[in-house]
Amino acid sequence: MDSLISYVVNLISLGGTYALLALGLAVIFSVLGLINFAHGELMTLTGYVLLAGILTGQPFWLAVLVAIIAGGISAVLMEFAAFRPVRNASGATLLMTSFAVSMLLQVLFQNGISPRGQAVPVPPWLTTSLSIGNSQISKVQIMSIVVGLLALVALKFFFDRSYWGWAIRAAADDFEIVGLMGVKASRLISFAFLLSGLLAGVAGVLWVIQRGSVDPLMGFKPVLAAFIVAVIGGLGSLTGAVVGGFILSAIEIALQTWLPASVMPYRDAITYTIVVIILSIFPNGIFGKRDQEKV
Amino acid sequence: MSDSLLTTTDLSISYGAVKAVHGSNLKVKEGEVVALLGPNGAGKSSTLRAIVGLIKSRGSVNFAGEDITGAPTEHIVSMGLSLVPEGRRLFPNLTVRENLLLGAPRKAKTDDLFDDLLQRLPILRERLNQVSGTLSGGEQQQVAIARALMSRPKLLLIDEPSLGLAPTLVDAVYQLLADLRKTGLAMIIVEQEVMRVLKFADRAYAMSAGEIALEGRAADLLVSDEIKKVYLGGA
Repeated sequence: MDSLISYVVNLISLGGTYALLALGLAVIFSVLGLINFAHGELMTLTGYVLLAGILTGQPFWLAVLVAIIAGGISAVLMEFAAFRPVRNASGATLLMTSFAVSMLLQVLFQNGISPRGQAVPVPPWLTTSLSIGNSQISKVQIMSIVVGLLALVALKFFFDRSYWGWAIRAAADDFEIVGLMGVKASRLISFAFLLSGLLAGVAGVLWVIQRGSVDPLMGFKPVLAAFIVAVIGGLGSLTGAVVGGFILSAIEIALQTWLPASVMPYRDAITYTIVVIILSIFPNGIFGKRDQEKV
Repeated sequence: MSDSLLTTTDLSISYGAVKAVHGSNLKVKEGEVVALLGPNGAGKSSTLRAIVGLIKSRGSVNFAGEDITGAPTEHIVSMGLSLVPEGRRLFPNLTVRENLLLGAPRKAKTDDLFDDLLQRLPILRERLNQVSGTLSGGEQQQVAIARALMSRPKLLLIDEPSLGLAPTLVDAVYQLLADLRKTGLAMIIVEQEVMRVLKFADRAYAMSAGEIALEGRAADLLVSDEIKKVYLGGA
């Protein structure tokens, strides 16, 4: 029972973060047909901004807010500087560009800040735990569940109720025709990057607070997971990104919770085997389109 | 020129080395309905797509007194040109309502237009919250036309309105177009059902291999031997 409670708590908190990250990737994929591997570096950047805010004595909430906004603005600048010049290039060129941006930012963090991880001091009230039954649940986890779910609900409203929400969903269906609706392509793309960056910001803050540190290569693992999540859900599908996030989280946490210690070194291998099985049943992802042209 | 709403001059379109359209000159007057005929690959759809700026072209396109050659699509749409693309191209994961509202400019007040369209197309009222991918072909065509009307166009370009529809549904679509014509809306209709569209249109152009082979009053073309030869198997 206790392990079940902690399983569910872990599943939701990690799944929410994965969902936010994968949504960030899916939004960009919808408008550009690009998997932005520099998405992880937006998380890292958010982490450093959060650290700077805390170290300079800002109130915690303000540091968090500024960090998230910094994620959004950086994403817009990233599009402007790196992706706009190659917008009409092939998918492979865009992908290479995203790797280049990712590497560049990692090197900048390593040389400009430090190659080592920096501890991020979170306020004491966040470091305590609550007891549910016999299991201890940290407040950081509760916060990450609440924030993750709130962000998903807010996104749902945004996608269902707002003009730009419709435009991004429409772009996922048929980008060319969105232009025919009078939507300016470059504005839609900037908007998508802003949203994607804000999502990376929220995920980045949650990630950094849970780990308690930030380092230059921090973004790689979560963005790889988010990529897998997006593929499981169906590339470009926004619903799929959320569902995929919770599926991958369910697999990872289940293995982490119940796998015998002797098999634990094979955890990632088992995770990816399960992912491959899912993809062999749903070759285009669970919510994927049948005829996927974008790369 | 003065009463001409749309004029294309020497419009040429290439896909790589392949020339799809060379030097076509079209004219549409205010409130006029023009049919654009031709076999598959004649360059009809390319012409419509080039006019709204979805594909690059050479030559010039003049609309409502402004040179819109090479202008971005969103600008062309905002000037009052709207395209119902071939195959409807609705956003299948968006509801009918969302498809329609996305068709209007972002800050436009469209309540009256929206109500007016639902009055004309009562079937859509029942389907407003349904995702459009689940609609029948006829319903999708109606939504596609309604969506294109949400930007309050002066000229509506319609690519194959009857494609894939049962005859009774084609009647319904043409009834809608007839209603719209009464409001003074000008149209270019690309259509495979030649007889149907010639009975409907004021004038027509027939394209062949990327060129305009024939033009004239629709009523004249309806009885022309050349049209009969090409479209009715030489009767």
